[in-house]
Amino acid sequence: MQVYKAFFRIIQKNRSQIAIYLVVFMVLALLLTNAYTPPQDTDFTKTRFNIAFINEDGDSELVDGLKTYLGENANLVDLPDDPQQLQDALFFRQVVYILRVPKGFTAAMLNGQEVQLEKTIVPDSPSNIYMDLLINKYLNSAQTYFAYLPGLSQDQLVDYLKVDLAEETAVTVISGSSHSANAEKSGYYFNYISYSLFAILILGVCSVMLVFNDTDLKRRNLCSPIRSATMNFQMILGNLSFAVLTWLVLISASFVMYGSYMFTTNGLLLLLNSFIFTLAALSISYLIGNLVKSRGAMSAVANVFALGTSFLSGVFVPQELLGANVLTIASFTPTYWYVKANNEIANAVSFNAGNLQSIFTSMVLVLAFGVAVLGVTLVLIKQRRVEA
Amino acid sequence: MVINVKNLVKRYGDLIALDHFNLEVQEGEILGLLGPNGSGKTTAINCILSLLKYDKGTIEIFDQPMSPDAYDIKRDVGIVMQNVAVFEELTVYENIDYFCGLYIADRQTRKKRVAEAIDFVGLNDFIKFFPKKLSGGLLRRLNIACGIAHQPKLIILDEPTVAVDPQSRNNILEGIQKLNRQGATIIYTSHYMEEVEQIASRIAIMDKGKIIAMGTNEELKKKIKSGEHINLELLNPEDLDLEAIKALPHIISAELTDHQLVVKSGRDKNNLIAILDHLKDQNIAIGKIYSEPPTLNDVFLEITGKELRD
Repeated sequence: MQVYKAFFRIIQKNRSQIAIYLVVFMVLALLLTNAYTPPQDTDFTKTRFNIAFINEDGDSELVDGLKTYLGENANLVDLPDDPQQLQDALFFRQVVYILRVPKGFTAAMLNGQEVQLEKTIVPDSPSNIYMDLLINKYLNSAQTYFAYLPGLSQDQLVDYLKVDLAEETAVTVISGSSHSANAEKSGYYFNYISYSLFAILILGVCSVMLVFNDTDLKRRNLCSPIRSATMNFQMILGNLSFAVLTWLVLISASFVMYGSYMFTTNGLLLLLNSFIFTLAALSISYLIGNLVKSRGAMSAVANVFALGTSFLSGVFVPQELLGANVLTIASFTPTYWYVKANNEIANAVSFNAGNLQSIFTSMVLVLAFGVAVLGVTLVLIKQRRVEA
Repeated sequence: MVINVKNLVKRYGDLIALDHFNLEVQEGEILGLLGPNGSGKTTAINCILSLLKYDKGTIEIFDQPMSPDAYDIKRDVGIVMQNVAVFEELTVYENIDYFCGLYIADRQTRKKRVAEAIDFVGLNDFIKFFPKKLSGGLLRRLNIACGIAHQPKLIILDEPTVAVDPQSRNNILEGIQKLNRQGATIIYTSHYMEEVEQIASRIAIMDKGKIIAMGTNEELKKKIKSGEHINLELLNPEDLDLEAIKALPHIISAELTDHQLVVKSGRDKNNLIAILDHLKDQNIAIGKIYSEPPTLNDVFLEITGKELRD
């Protein structure tokens, strides 16, 4: 294992440079992740819509009761009964719901006849459903009383309804729990470490490959009886060990920050996804390491590649905000699929075949990138074994 | 036979780097491959080691065809490259151990061989030094130690003394002879004829990608017409009749530069007395006189018409 040992001696010689990058990236990742505050909903307030109530049924305690009840749950806006003005009020969202009680409504209700209220609404507004629910609740309760207490006066009915409908349901908001906050923050952190991983792996792997690809040393190694496959195996093993070490350091911060969340399905999937991405990033770093010829080029490639793919793929800017063309280009990089899977994992409240399939498809694509690039690199190395 | 190269041709576009190059190296000899810069020595070595593709010809080492995958052959070959090929990140000991480890897996054997190699090149006091801290001579010695630590049967040294001070050069040359006495067959390439003359049991002279002469030092010198060189320092050279000197029997050439007269005689002929008599007759006073045998440069000059040092 001479090559493997030499690999780590070279890494050791470059340890200060790699350590600086590692510390800077981790501090940046921690700062950026903690600076992000996900929205926290801790209060619940019933929404009150503006509605208009037009009564054509004259004096009716039942209708007055309905109006009072609706007034407790919505803002009643006084509007003249003029079709043009009512249309304008809807158009300018002065009101979102206009309820018209037709003449003879109370009498029909008391006689058990089927009767309909007229409503004018803003299309596709959630207020429609809410107001319908309120009105149906009032009228259904009234019908129930009529059915089972036939001699009940309107006064008594409205009193009963008032008491019944005053019942409130306590609402407890649970969406602002620490689990949800951890999901968003950890997703952001894991997205960000793709940049760190890429930059550190390119730097580390390139610094070793530059040494081994030095023309004189390369020729000297080629004169030895070490087989090409053995040499590649030891080199890949060295690279893999370095990559796993880097990955372990980077994910260790996630355990410190998110604690037990990392042992949930979401956390474990994030870890798996980042490990697969590490393999792909390593493979690409190995290719770059076999192409770059100088330390200057190494730093330039590390920065351009790591930053470029991160910007394109939604590490710094959410994928939802990127244009379709950008995302199409980004889909040719493993970072895009890594970030996509990360976002899906972080946003998932529960896992089912549908979202798991999408997540694992992204992971397989990242892995496929890695395998394909490694294949190209090995062919390149083989071709360079003997100079023309 | 240790090495057998037949009709090796290597082209770089229109340039023929090796032109039907033939070479035979016998077991136990030190073969000096001598030639000016650009004559094809390193190209020939790189082809022999399968580091370079070639257009035509065959190469056999230890009677086996040489190829990039001929690992059994490579196991018994040691190489000291023209450029120092060591890891800057590894110490002297670690470098030698690394290269020895490519050939010898057993840790105990390797430890012993590394210690022997360090002792052989005299780097005992520098084992913990990094290459950057070594002088040019010590660096060359490290390069040699890395090439010979596994104690190969065949050692190829490609200009190992370039940019080395005279003292280190002598140490290196003595070391090579010692390796040969221990049983290694050696190919030594250089453009320094003195080095080759000093250590090689057989010499091959290269020019323009082919071997133009081959034999022992004496055999090569016998192939040329000129014999000894007589160098005379003349105190009053203006009185010299140079044509009269050239007209003396067995004189091949006579040249006067400032006060220095160099007369080349035919092989196995001694003209010193005749020249001295002639100068005495012309009343020319003589400062210093010395005579030297023909060199490999004369051999090269006579065959190619140009100086080896050009």
